[in-house]
Amino acid sequence: MPGVTMKELSKRYGEVGAVQGLSLSVEPGELLALLGPSGCGKTTTLRLVAGFLTPEAGEIWVGDRCLSSPAAVVAPERRRMAMIFQSYALWPHMTVAQNVAYGLRFKPGLARAARDARVREMLRVVQLAGYESRYPGELSGGQQQRVAVARALVVEPEILLLDEPLSNLDANLREEMRFEIRRLHEAFAITTLYVTHDQAEAMVISDRIAVLERGRVVQVGGADEIFLRPRTRFVAEFIGRTNVIEGVAESTDALARGGLRLRVAGGLSPGAPAAVSIRPHDIALAPTGAAPSGPLDNALRGIVKRASFLGDSVDYQVAIAGTDVVLRVVTPAVRRFGAGDAVALTIAPAACVTLGAEGPA
Amino acid sequence: MTRQSRLPRPGLDRSLPVWLAAALVLLFLMALPLGWLVRVSVSQEGGGVTLAHYRAVLADPALRRALGNTLVLAFWVGLASIAVGAPLAWLTARTDLPGKGVLRALVLASFVTPPFLGAFAWVMLAGPNAGLLNTLWRRLTGLDSPLVDIFTMPGLVFVVTLYTFPYVYIMLVNTLALIASDLEEAAAILGAGRLGVALTVTLPLVLPALVSGFILAVLQALALFGSPAILALPAGFHTITTQIWSFFHYPPKIEQAAAFSLPLLLATALLLLVQKRVLGRRGYVAVGGKGGQRRTIALGAWRWPALAAGLAVMACSIVLPYGILAKAALSRAWAQPLTWSNLTLANFTFTFVDYGATQAAIVNTLELGVATATVGAVLVALLAYVATRRLVVGHQVVAFLALAPIVIPGVVLAVALFIAYTRPPFVLYGTLAILFIAYLTKELPTGYAQSDATFRGIPAELEDAGRILGAGRLRILRDVTAPLARSGIIAAWCFIFIGVIRELSASIILFTPATRVMSVVIFDLKEEGQFGAIAVLGLTMLALTFATVALMQRVLGRDMLGARE
Ligand SMILES: Nc1ncnc2c1ncn2[C@@H]1O[C@H](COP(=O)(O)OP(=O)(O)OP(=O)(O)O)[C@@H](O)[C@H]1O
Ligand SMILES: [Mg+2]
Repeated sequence: MPGVTMKELSKRYGEVGAVQGLSLSVEPGELLALLGPSGCGKTTTLRLVAGFLTPEAGEIWVGDRCLSSPAAVVAPERRRMAMIFQSYALWPHMTVAQNVAYGLRFKPGLARAARDARVREMLRVVQLAGYESRYPGELSGGQQQRVAVARALVVEPEILLLDEPLSNLDANLREEMRFEIRRLHEAFAITTLYVTHDQAEAMVISDRIAVLERGRVVQVGGADEIFLRPRTRFVAEFIGRTNVIEGVAESTDALARGGLRLRVAGGLSPGAPAAVSIRPHDIALAPTGAAPSGPLDNALRGIVKRASFLGDSVDYQVAIAGTDVVLRVVTPAVRRFGAGDAVALTIAPAACVTLGAEGPA
Repeated sequence: MTRQSRLPRPGLDRSLPVWLAAALVLLFLMALPLGWLVRVSVSQEGGGVTLAHYRAVLADPALRRALGNTLVLAFWVGLASIAVGAPLAWLTARTDLPGKGVLRALVLASFVTPPFLGAFAWVMLAGPNAGLLNTLWRRLTGLDSPLVDIFTMPGLVFVVTLYTFPYVYIMLVNTLALIASDLEEAAAILGAGRLGVALTVTLPLVLPALVSGFILAVLQALALFGSPAILALPAGFHTITTQIWSFFHYPPKIEQAAAFSLPLLLATALLLLVQKRVLGRRGYVAVGGKGGQRRTIALGAWRWPALAAGLAVMACSIVLPYGILAKAALSRAWAQPLTWSNLTLANFTFTFVDYGATQAAIVNTLELGVATATVGAVLVALLAYVATRRLVVGHQVVAFLALAPIVIPGVVLAVALFIAYTRPPFVLYGTLAILFIAYLTKELPTGYAQSDATFRGIPAELEDAGRILGAGRLRILRDVTAPLARSGIIAAWCFIFIGVIRELSASIILFTPATRVMSVVIFDLKEEGQFGAIAVLGLTMLALTFATVALMQRVLGRDMLGARE
């Protein structure tokens, strides 16, 4: 099972640079999620890998074969890949069985009986046994999605490409299908590139996540790594909610903004502008006067501007005294403050994650 | 450093043959004829360039009158088509009018009725002397003067409008179907009355469609040959098209015909440009949004008068003309009451057996219809596929060129083809080939529009899904694209076929005795006063047309007037 390597890929549409110098490796057998906001070039990247588009610059390698370069592109049908489209792209004039069997027509030396057996087995795996002779128009959204999965997996591709395959499903079904896809991936271990703009989906499904911004990869890593140590403001804000505080580095581990001084995890260059990200649930709230939890923690004071009860948690906006900073804080619902209450905030330095300079302008 | 073989870059390899083929087709269909048209219009005896022909046609008072008549005709037809088509569209699209389905079917019928047949029928209905309505009138009132005289400009406007208003209707009905009532209801909630809503919300939303429908109607009237030839010539006046046709009478004045054709061509192109602008700005309204509940407006007591008005229009357009054609086909003397002694099948035997020209003409028409529709459907399918799938560099140009012939009125096209193909190296005049070229050119835009919609309706992802599973482009064309496009391609075939069998304005200039077609024979029979035979041939043409329409609606699963979910 080979991996996929993209080197400095670029693709323009007229003036728009859809993909701009994108480099990324998918390890053999890995499921890598391509995560990014709408229009950042996810689909374009996937279609480049599939061979539907010719890159203007860069190369795509699968194992030791170069499949795409500006000079030559191996046709999609000769790439031994399979793809699941956002629209599913099931053929309306073919039955479920015909849809699933289609890719097997191009496997030389596969007898008809063997072909039928594989189709039947695959339909059983996606729990669609008994639906062979239905037409796609006679299936529910989730069933269509599973036909699309079956059609892609039955050919035993080396590489599997998925373009937001769950975005057409309702929330419950989507959650169910996430685990379904993960389960199938664990069963077949096909190198997979999974496009989504839903961070929760990316976290549940993937081994690693690549965050895309304007046609470039800004960070690659495991879900925890991306969440806990976002490298740029863009990544921090895109993956979950966060507070970003911009200021000037006083030392390698202290950031100042007006009257606010924060001890941070480290890695700042003294004197330079800097920014840190603090997740809302990494901030503790207490009534004023309560002792700070640790001697090194940042201790701040503030006034609650707004408190929203969310059932299992409370979402606060707290104005920090003596500054223009308003922090978003999420706490368990055990103790609650109301708007106007004075509170003490505690933030561990490790929770103040230093962000790289090259955030979006 | 790479082990795989270097493949040619996709796009370039395909582009060349496609472009060569498209260039050749367009050379023969458009560039060559139009080039000759311009060249001849400025040619001088003994060589050189002159504007003398333009000066001659513009200075001639008779020709200026023809120009004026055409403008008057087109303008009033445009207005009258709005007056008839817009209310009908609104009534059938948005209200609880009873019998909407019947009305819609009748509008479709008048859309496909050859206008010159309608004109013949109205000669029999409202000719000043023998016209059925006038004889009835005289018998009822004892007066001597006729009720109406169809051989007048108002009569011509009336008859042309009867078969032109469907263009307005189609534009509007499809637009109205797309405007969600939410927009109107939003205004109603804000306190606008029913009339207020109509004026402030609905009207601005449909205005582009109205203007564009008006322009289409005007274009139809400008390009029409049959109806003016049947109604205006006896009344003693010409329009541009009949005038161009008469330039071909002995001694032919080809240069003047060319010089007279170009202004018509330019006017058409200009109007279409305006229409494109008007429609192009449609994006700013919420037309075309999906979903959106469409509320039916209750007409209350107005239901029946409204229905009566709608049926009255359709009676003039369909019921009376078809009735009189049927009567004429079955009677010895069409102006006499339909008694047993007047009943006969002689017209049928005369038309199909005795009259020499008919059989050959029917065969010619069918041959040309099938050949043009088949070649045309394949051609537009290829062009639309190449354009919608962006297979070649400059695919937009392919689409533009396929739609371009729409600016050429039939008579002008015929003049251009006549000039281009009566001289070496391509002498086609006198063969069916020249008619084939004329029909193919004329029907290319309609067929292309149909095919374009077909391929747009097939998401490219359906093809991509097959490619990535291992099928080559041709294989996918066979396994996926062709089966899904089949009904759309058949519909394009039907559209072209219907257009060809009714074609008169180009045929009337390009035919020779050996290459007559049904429409031309009908036109010739008028000279001989053979109304019975005209009726028989006309009904045959209608039967062919409606059979084709039925086939098309069957494969499309909807009627041919346009989008209706
Ligand atoms: N065929 C095209 N022609 C012109 N521009 C295009 C085309 N396809 C994509 N683009 C542009 O390229 C950029 C990237 O598009 P792409 O479809 O890759 O985004 P995406 O990340 O998949 O977005 P989404 O999440 O909305 O699907 C966008 O700015 C888009 O407008
Ligand atoms: Mg996309």
